[in-house]
Amino acid sequence: MTMTQIERDGRGAAAVPILRLVGRAVARAAVAVALPAAAVAIALACGAVLLALNGFDGADVVNVMILGVFQDFRSVTEILLKAVPLILIGAGLCVAFRCNMWNIGAEGQLYAGAVSATLIGISFEGLSPWLYVPAVLVAGALGGAIWGGIAGFLKVRFQASEIVTTIMLNYIALIGTSWLVTGPMRDARAAYPQSARLFREAWVPDLIAGTRLHIGILVAVALALVLYVFLYRSSAGYAVRVVGINPHAARYAGMNAGRNMMAAMCISGGMAGLAGAFEVAGVTHRLYQNISPGYGFEGIAVALLAGNNPLGAILSGGLFAVLRSGSELMQITSQVPQVLVSIIQGIVILSVVAFAAIRIWPRRRS
Amino acid sequence: MESRVFRRAVLMGGMAGVLAGLLPAGKAWAEDLKMGLLVPGSVSEEGWNRIGYNALKGVQEQLGATISYVELQQNPASFEKAFYDYASQGYQVILGHGFEFQDAALSVAEDYPETWFLISSSDIHEGRVIGLHTDTSQPFYLMGVIAAKMGKKAGLVGGMEIPPIQQAFEGFKNGVRSVDPDFPISEAYIGNFTDTTAAKEAALSMIAQGADFVLPNASGATVGGYQGIAESGADVRTFSIFSDFTPVAPDNILGLYVADYAQGVVEVVRGIRDGAPPEANVVFGLKDEKVMQFTFREDGPVAVPDAIKAEVAEVAAQIAAGNIQTHSN
Amino acid sequence: MLDILTLGFLATLLGAAWRLATPLIFASIGEVISERAGVLNIGLEGTMLMGAFCGFAASFATGSIPLGLAAGIAAGMAFGLIFAFFTITVKANQIVVGAAINLLGLGLTAFLFRTYYVSTGRGVDIARPVRIPWLSDLPFFGEALFRQNLIVYSTVLVTVLAVILLYRSSFGLTLRAVGDHPKAVDVAGRSVAAYRYGAVLIGTGLAGLGGAFLTLGHSNQFVEGITSGRGFIALAVVVFARWSPVGAFFVSLLFGLFYALQLQLQAQPMLNIPYQAFQALPYLMTIVALIVVGGKSAAPRKLGTPYDER
Repeated sequence: MTMTQIERDGRGAAAVPILRLVGRAVARAAVAVALPAAAVAIALACGAVLLALNGFDGADVVNVMILGVFQDFRSVTEILLKAVPLILIGAGLCVAFRCNMWNIGAEGQLYAGAVSATLIGISFEGLSPWLYVPAVLVAGALGGAIWGGIAGFLKVRFQASEIVTTIMLNYIALIGTSWLVTGPMRDARAAYPQSARLFREAWVPDLIAGTRLHIGILVAVALALVLYVFLYRSSAGYAVRVVGINPHAARYAGMNAGRNMMAAMCISGGMAGLAGAFEVAGVTHRLYQNISPGYGFEGIAVALLAGNNPLGAILSGGLFAVLRSGSELMQITSQVPQVLVSIIQGIVILSVVAFAAIRIWPRRRS
Repeated sequence: MESRVFRRAVLMGGMAGVLAGLLPAGKAWAEDLKMGLLVPGSVSEEGWNRIGYNALKGVQEQLGATISYVELQQNPASFEKAFYDYASQGYQVILGHGFEFQDAALSVAEDYPETWFLISSSDIHEGRVIGLHTDTSQPFYLMGVIAAKMGKKAGLVGGMEIPPIQQAFEGFKNGVRSVDPDFPISEAYIGNFTDTTAAKEAALSMIAQGADFVLPNASGATVGGYQGIAESGADVRTFSIFSDFTPVAPDNILGLYVADYAQGVVEVVRGIRDGAPPEANVVFGLKDEKVMQFTFREDGPVAVPDAIKAEVAEVAAQIAAGNIQTHSN
Repeated sequence: MLDILTLGFLATLLGAAWRLATPLIFASIGEVISERAGVLNIGLEGTMLMGAFCGFAASFATGSIPLGLAAGIAAGMAFGLIFAFFTITVKANQIVVGAAINLLGLGLTAFLFRTYYVSTGRGVDIARPVRIPWLSDLPFFGEALFRQNLIVYSTVLVTVLAVILLYRSSFGLTLRAVGDHPKAVDVAGRSVAAYRYGAVLIGTGLAGLGGAFLTLGHSNQFVEGITSGRGFIALAVVVFARWSPVGAFFVSLLFGLFYALQLQLQAQPMLNIPYQAFQALPYLMTIVALIVVGGKSAAPRKLGTPYDER
């Protein structure tokens, strides 16, 4: 819905002088940022009210959750670390949602990626890191792409709702991972159900020595840019969007709707798989049963807050990472239950959809 | 509020802040003890996480420490950050409540050599990373002895297949076999720690298959197991573990095993504060009567016959003396 | 080892399957009604959690199970109202709003439970099994199948009522038309929005009841995340059952059977199949069912599409 609008604006802008063009771009960017910001503000206000009503300090929402996490350098690197999977998944889902493919399965695709990355990462000792790290990451992306591609295939070939199949594939991936780390992939020496440690040559290098922040953050931002260019500056991306708006029209225009749907699912799955690969090769260095605290589901909200624009996913992914860090800190300092973050995320989503409706309503009425 | 503002001011300057955070730790040691806790789930339910929380409360009440805890929902990627958060804020003692925190503690300990890291159900001892292990296989061994002497078939309902639960069950099985090597035992895992419904149905299905001594051990979902037992009539026996579940299954519970882990942790932390830290990893067992309390119900409708009680007491003494191995390695 | 082949084993298995299926039956039949009107509500998990928590809280405060069940249904409908407002009135995307509902349900129930019930540790009374004359005295099956509580028995009633509502009432006729040809309903002078609100409220009320069963009819405590994914499984049941209430009843039973079988087979020490294989089976079967029956053939035509009057 938002997209058609942007296109309409874009067409109108083509003829006007450059100054006005820039002015409109700035105004458009301001609107694009202001509305999500207002949504976040509403959600935080609701969070503060909820805290105050239940005997906590409402001001904590701002003092601790938002400002508190910037207390030192390490905290900032930890936020960026959390932002890596959120940006990757969020940007990938933008492509799927633009194609009207409701991929709810990023969580499962993340696990599929983490499993394939681990398989490669524990198998080839002594490989050069220049070869090994990319191999692990590609394996993760492939694993996620295949897991997402299954749902895409079922949709294109059998018209099976991708919403239902991706939810089912989530469970299968989670249960499968649980089986792998308690069974065949289990590290016999370890007490905890976990895989063997990835060979050191397969570890994603740190970006800043002495912190856990690895180069994944650069990759995530770069890929979000690439996906933006793909969606809005390439004919292939244009086809993906047209199929999303109207698959029948796309067919008349000679576009293969099925192929574009598959592409959208594989891209979003691949991004989620890559996020899984970065988690095992960059953070935990082992595969566990609970490797993701729900990044795949949070990524849906990230994409949505970004207006399904991969560039926006960089910002909204960062914001959600702040909220997540902040909720952990809030529990440490004020014993506020960490689940507050889920409530705030839920309200953010509802506010965003309400704002989108308000922007569209006047046009509808006319 | 004031301390938080102060802390932020102190920590504002990045690495300099980290150093600054360490300096007062040495100075304000005795008067301002701060202890943090990491738990892998919710402390709001009876079970494993509550035990860790109670230990933290014990340190607060008995040693006057400032305390704080954080729940991490079994997500390994967040463990290190939580340790860093506490260590950088000048917490002198951090309890990671579960062996899964061990790796993260070791890596953070490299940056914070002055901080004490206590790890529950671990037997590590490296510098100031110290494992505290409650050997649950010992009381479970006793329950196994009782089950084999009083019943026909035993059932074990576990949450997830992780070492503390496996080890407890291993103790139970060894106890059973010490009485009767052919005594039938069935075992099932529900695959999580939240589904009380599944725990209840697992218990019911074992009872339907003839089990008359059933033990649930699934953290938050444990209570479901006791409900299944309670609904199956007074012929099914069980033991209340970790918390007092007698109100849930009053006709079935023979006795109570509670680990006063808090007392054990308080003593360890007291030692650290007073300059007498543990010199090896700590194992609590039946020998530590203050920590491990194994009692029979006296007032209940069901009771363990005195003869069996006496035998169990003898076995317990043997275990405490180190003459009986309740689990392998 | 051959315990599994006895009649007693079967009887126990069926009894357990029915109990485990009960929350699924309520939630999936509710979702059938909602989807028949064209509204896809993936927020079932959060809605069930609300039902489970509010049912527990009300029963905890009043000591009454019926009041608890009523509170569970009301809580489900309250969430349904939020969902309906955003999807029907605001015309927002149903998936997006459903995802928000799940987050809200999970967050709110855990937050409130932490804040008010953490240290009580006390449970509530749960509905007692009720004997049915003659049926409960049948050998084997009477023992296992007909010693359930009233909530479990009522799944049959709810199924019958849903069939009557959908296929034997004019409300149901219009409701199904709203899911297939909303334009026609609109032209005929009836409000598409009103029917969709009605369908969503019935659906979420039943989901709330399914949640409340967990705390009031099975285990007597609320545990965070007690629904353990049942709201998502209910979505799968609806597809598998091809949007039929009777189908939803039996598919739920089948899923309950798998779960019960999984628990019982684990307890057979001789069988060496990883229990995860059984856990994954319902999800795999749903995908297979989608392939076999074809996704779109049975689905309401306008499922998931907001109705625009223009």
